[in-house]
Amino acid sequence: MNDLFIDLASPVIMGILLGGLYTLIALGLSMVFGVMKLINVAHGDLVIFSSYFAYALFTYLGIDPVVSLVIGIPVLFVIGFLIQKFLMARAFRLSLEAPLIIAIGVSLVLENTYQLVFSPMSRGLSSSYSMATFTIGEIYIPVVYVLSFGVGIVVMLALGLFLKRTYLGQAIVAASQDATAAQLMGINTTRIFAFTFGIAAAIAAVAGVFLGLTFPFTPDSGIMFLIIAFGVVILGGLGSIPGTFVGAIILGLAQTLAAQYISASMQMFFLYIIVLVLLALRPRGLFGR
Amino acid sequence: MADPALKIKRLLLFIAVMVVLLALPALGLPQTWILYFFLFFIYLALANMWNLLGGYCGLLSLCQPAFMGLGGYTLVLFTWTGFPFYMGILGGAFVAVLFSILISPAVFRLRGIYFSIGTLVVPEALRIIFLNWRFVGEQIHGKGAGYMIKELEGLSMTHIYWFAILIGLASVFIVRLILASKIGMGLAAIRDNDEAASTSGINIFNLKLFAFAISACITAIAGAVFFMFQGYISPSVSFSMKWTITMILATVIGGISTEEGPIIGTAIIVFLHFVLARYAGISLVIQGALLIIVMLLAPQGIMGFLRKTRPYQSFLRLTTG
Repeated sequence: MNDLFIDLASPVIMGILLGGLYTLIALGLSMVFGVMKLINVAHGDLVIFSSYFAYALFTYLGIDPVVSLVIGIPVLFVIGFLIQKFLMARAFRLSLEAPLIIAIGVSLVLENTYQLVFSPMSRGLSSSYSMATFTIGEIYIPVVYVLSFGVGIVVMLALGLFLKRTYLGQAIVAASQDATAAQLMGINTTRIFAFTFGIAAAIAAVAGVFLGLTFPFTPDSGIMFLIIAFGVVILGGLGSIPGTFVGAIILGLAQTLAAQYISASMQMFFLYIIVLVLLALRPRGLFGR
Repeated sequence: MADPALKIKRLLLFIAVMVVLLALPALGLPQTWILYFFLFFIYLALANMWNLLGGYCGLLSLCQPAFMGLGGYTLVLFTWTGFPFYMGILGGAFVAVLFSILISPAVFRLRGIYFSIGTLVVPEALRIIFLNWRFVGEQIHGKGAGYMIKELEGLSMTHIYWFAILIGLASVFIVRLILASKIGMGLAAIRDNDEAASTSGINIFNLKLFAFAISACITAIAGAVFFMFQGYISPSVSFSMKWTITMILATVIGGISTEEGPIIGTAIIVFLHFVLARYAGISLVIQGALLIIVMLLAPQGIMGFLRKTRPYQSFLRLTTG
């Protein structure tokens, strides 16, 4: 009985904690999706950009991955801002499929640049605490999981506050509700969109570092985390921050429970199937409007 | 098509080009040349099928590698269990069509970009299945279920090259046939305004499924022929997003929603492969950049650009009377 409990408790705790990391990965996608109605196919690759950026700073300069975010966040903000300003803003005016195709192009460029610079080998961010664990009863819990869970909550709350309390945040919310009306009210939506993309990329920077501390990554890991983030957004409903958090925990739980009770090497398969079934049955999300 | 003499001239030209292409291996050209012609016809079939969905039905499908992989793996299943290769190819086409019908209720509920993401998940899920599942032959250690494609009973590279020409041409004719028929008009109506199409009595689901199944069939055959040429198939190559990118790139560069677009685009892509053969990594970066640049500067591709120019207009007037 006791063994059974530990068997269950361990994946449940890990799954919930994993939800923190998945929140971080999905928040940026959700934001761009909510404001610009664009599914940024390159979002996963932006997250992986941050993982490699932290990896480079750690390996060559010895800067701790979490500390390196001081540089990583602004760098990714600028990249995101520029992608929106010079590529997506024009694509929006062209056609419905143009932003998708351009995002695919961005993803291709990023992925293969990582491959050129860092080789296709699997990498990981291994600092002093990335392997550390502590125990509650008989359950081992990695410190990194707790850390990313905490950071996930903090980023989520900070984003919520930012959108509610600041002028820029309110302008983003206004643009997401009705871009034309916002423009008529004197909001420069082109600029707001660029800021939105930048902020989404900045959150991806945080996500990338904790992803690198938690899992090994390769140049083409982006697509896997894009699908996870997309599943989270679909689960949680469009543009809802608390929904994203709940969706992330559900997917985290599904993954750890599938790994424990069905097959560790097939865990992602079950996540993908959940995403597909969700899309088919409830494309507006469990809590969607 | 007013002038019958012009029609005959065209036909003769076409036959002449075909004879030369078919005879290429016998002319003692270097193997790499044959390889590039082979790639051209395979990519042409893939791009045409993507254009049929993306350009004419508004279905920006990202699951084409799923059909290629299924085509290849069905071929493996057949040849490893002693069936002849052609049954393997046809079996692959059949499995891919069946699979497209199977996933259609799920993915056709999705519109626009939702459809794209929904279809993106499909090859990723299949890759994991095939990485973990060795369906014929003995279990090997360390998984990663790759297969040699064997038992091709005296098929030479030349034969496989001819198959590629066949499937490439077939894809061109199939797209032409569909577009000239009532189905093509229905598809265009769906792409432009599906609600209006629906109220005009078009069965959206059936028409989309028809195009989807056709594209699955041809893509699977092209995949099977490609893996026959390679002699080896593995999940990470067959279900790779890179295929999708090749199709999109060829179509977008040439001109999406045009019949000639994929032909021109494929020629350019293959030429790029040839020029950048030694720099595999950089080649993909350049292709990505090209995709962005073409989409931003000439969203209608080369054909769209050509159509606006005066010589093409007068050519059009000349040929169509």
